Amino acid sequence: SKREIKMRKLDSTKVRPLKSEQLLHIEDHDFALRPGFGGSPIPVGIDVQVESIDSISEVDMDFTMTLYLRHYWKDERLSFRSNKNKSMTFDGRLIKKIWVPDVFFVHSKRSFIHDTTVENIMLRVYPDGNVLFSLRITVSAMCFMDFSRFPLDTQNCSLELESYAYNEDDLMLYWKHGNKSLSTDEHISLSQFFIEEFSASSGLAFYSSTGWYNRLFINFALRRHIFFFVLQSYFPAMLMVMLSWVSFWIDRRAVPARVSLGITTVLTMSTIMTGVSASMPQVSYIKAVDVYLWISFLFVFLSVIEYAAVNYLTTIEERKQLKKRGKASGMYSMDAVQAMAFDGCFHDTDVDVDLSPFPEPCEESETRASQTNISSVDTPRLKRKRSLKGNVGRIILQNNHVIDTYSRIIFPSVYIVFNFFYWGLYI
Amino acid sequence: SHIFKKNRDLTKAWKGKTEQLLRVDEHDFTMRPAFGGPAIPVGVDVQVESLDSISEVDMDFTMTLYLRHYWKDERLSFPSTNNKSMTFDGRLVKKIWVPDVFFVHSKRSFIHDTTTDNIMLRVFPDGHVLYSMRVTVTAMCNMDFSHFPLDSQTCSLELESYAYTDEDLMLYWKNGNESLKTDEKITLSQFLIQKFHTTSRLAFYSSTGWYNRLYINFTLRRHIFFFLLQTYFPATLMVMLSWVSFWIDRRAVPARVSLGITTVLTMSTIITGVNASMPRVSYIKAVDIYLWVSFVFVFLSVLEYAAVNYLTTVQERKERKLRERFSCSCGIPHSKTMMLDGNYSESDANSLAGYTRNQMGPEEEKPEKMVVHLAMSNESNSSRKRGLKGHVSLRIIQNTHAIDKYSRLIFPGTYIFFNLIYWSVFS
Repeated sequence: SKREIKMRKLDSTKVRPLKSEQLLHIEDHDFALRPGFGGSPIPVGIDVQVESIDSISEVDMDFTMTLYLRHYWKDERLSFRSNKNKSMTFDGRLIKKIWVPDVFFVHSKRSFIHDTTVENIMLRVYPDGNVLFSLRITVSAMCFMDFSRFPLDTQNCSLELESYAYNEDDLMLYWKHGNKSLSTDEHISLSQFFIEEFSASSGLAFYSSTGWYNRLFINFALRRHIFFFVLQSYFPAMLMVMLSWVSFWIDRRAVPARVSLGITTVLTMSTIMTGVSASMPQVSYIKAVDVYLWISFLFVFLSVIEYAAVNYLTTIEERKQLKKRGKASGMYSMDAVQAMAFDGCFHDTDVDVDLSPFPEPCEESETRASQTNISSVDTPRLKRKRSLKGNVGRIILQNNHVIDTYSRIIFPSVYIVFNFFYWGLYI
Repeated sequence: SHIFKKNRDLTKAWKGKTEQLLRVDEHDFTMRPAFGGPAIPVGVDVQVESLDSISEVDMDFTMTLYLRHYWKDERLSFPSTNNKSMTFDGRLVKKIWVPDVFFVHSKRSFIHDTTTDNIMLRVFPDGHVLYSMRVTVTAMCNMDFSHFPLDSQTCSLELESYAYTDEDLMLYWKNGNESLKTDEKITLSQFLIQKFHTTSRLAFYSSTGWYNRLYINFTLRRHIFFFLLQTYFPATLMVMLSWVSFWIDRRAVPARVSLGITTVLTMSTIITGVNASMPRVSYIKAVDIYLWVSFVFVFLSVLEYAAVNYLTTVQERKERKLRERFSCSCGIPHSKTMMLDGNYSESDANSLAGYTRNQMGPEEEKPEKMVVHLAMSNESNSSRKRGLKGHVSLRIIQNTHAIDKYSRLIFPGTYIFFNLIYWSVFS
């Protein structure tokens, strides 16, 4: 067989009669025994080129990465005579017949070697027995994520390589070029994250049953882009809070208006909060975005409570005034605007509005109003229905306006202070 | 010797076996043709069967194609009298050498295997081989959404040999630019496929050398109609709906407030709906611009009514204060009042600033004027309760109505202007 190896024809038009089995002495090669079996551990160098980070999933707390994984080791049994020291590239199916290191990914959930059009495997043997073995792999591995600062967070993930069977005494796994063993494609980018740095490190892992193993780490840090969440969550929440402040500027006699304004902003805040937590894992601590949304919700809620207080105090004062004037409560004379604000029906004149809990529909109250109006119009001297009442109303107005006046200043300023604290703390 | 006994009688079955015909036993599939010699040229031909899907969230596309390889392997030549090719079963590829082309940046791929592996192997007498397979591949495509949904995406599928560098295997497009064919009926529901074309380049890997890489490029232009119907049209309608509020009587407080608030809520829902099916990118998309500007318009209509209502209340309070001062009959004779406002009127100033009461009167008054007719009384010195105050109220009413009046023109005008700019920039 040595003679056949020397019969290497330099005429490349003729097919080489030799087979790889003869070239590499495959029949003598026992792939079950590692090189240097029984002797010192075999050093296996690792080189990784990351092709892409396909996805980062918060709900599953994992990431998916596609990489080229290259192993370098020396197997004397595969050396062959050559006069120009060039490496020979063989088909990937040859690895079934020789020994290869059994590197696996610790904490991986799913992984596969791409197999289109054939298994993406490269085997290159140098004349002195050095072997380069390369694979293209997609692996989904666990990454423990901490969401207490979500979405202003940075996640640190790492992919870990280790030999499955051979511990430190048999196989020494190391980064072939130190920290430069890890290279990435130029256009590696994620839509939601900014990849801060890739770094390679190594360590030893101890298993009580089986011993010490060399473990290599591929570490990378991901910083989340805040812009999407600002547009999707923070900005709508801020606008809803500002919308709730509009209620303080509306006439406090407009009860349906202010109440529906407050309630609808509460509803929208609630929808925003549900939308955010739909795409998040159900963690047991509070996230940064939760803090913001719940405090905004509290502001909106307080604006509703504020109007309830204003309305309640108004009603109390009016009742006191009624008692003073000795008029039975029930039919209460109001001017047109107040009446419109009260029951939402269009009134043209001063009306007697029924303060009973079940107000009449608009048309009936209109006819009643017009009747009373006609009677009052005939008199040349208009009865001023409101002289004293107006005075008292003004007193009441001033009292309750106080709450509204203060709210117009307090709510916005407290919210702005909260925003300063929040963004100062988290950014 | 069996080879020469080729029967011309087609009714007789071929007695030889492929192993004898192609000398598969001597064929070492781990070694490429001309092993150790010059690079073997492998021609590639692609027919795209379909583009199955384009995913924005994952930023990838799925394509099904027929991939054909053409190369020459002397070891497989056989003598033949009529120079016709022989087609073999696909399972023969396991025993011969085939090029190891893979798809760079692919996420998942598979060779269809129903009913058997979709592989064709055809060998010509001089050793030329045609190797064809049907593959579905999902590959990455970096998409830029800054013009979404008026965008065009350019994607490409890349073919490369996994193990063999430039010096061992030269990959090239067999017919230049005509190597890429597509089925006539290739269509996507959401995109218009603009063109398919091929390019080729060299790719460098620092660990392993230079490789030939072939590209299949295509450009996709998105159909806008779906987004017009789904997003733009509802947003425009909501903005127009918010303008309705300027035409409603400003005394109808609950109506105008709930109209404004409900349009804000609907805009918020539309915005959330769009972002559900989009990747979380860190820049603003064209559709975001439109929706957020529309949201601002709707928001401003709510603020506008808050301003109108507030100013109305303020004036009403001033009006009441003034009335207190002029509370008794400081009557101004008819003539004087007529000089003040040029109207024949006897009126009782209404209790509220800015609220008119149109009664039947011969004169047609403008609604802004606070002239109110109660009755056609003959009294010449009816107490004119409105002398100075009426004038003041007149001015105020015109002020408040002015905001609504101007808004009726400004809001639609500005929105139409924004639309003109938007569509001309992005179309």
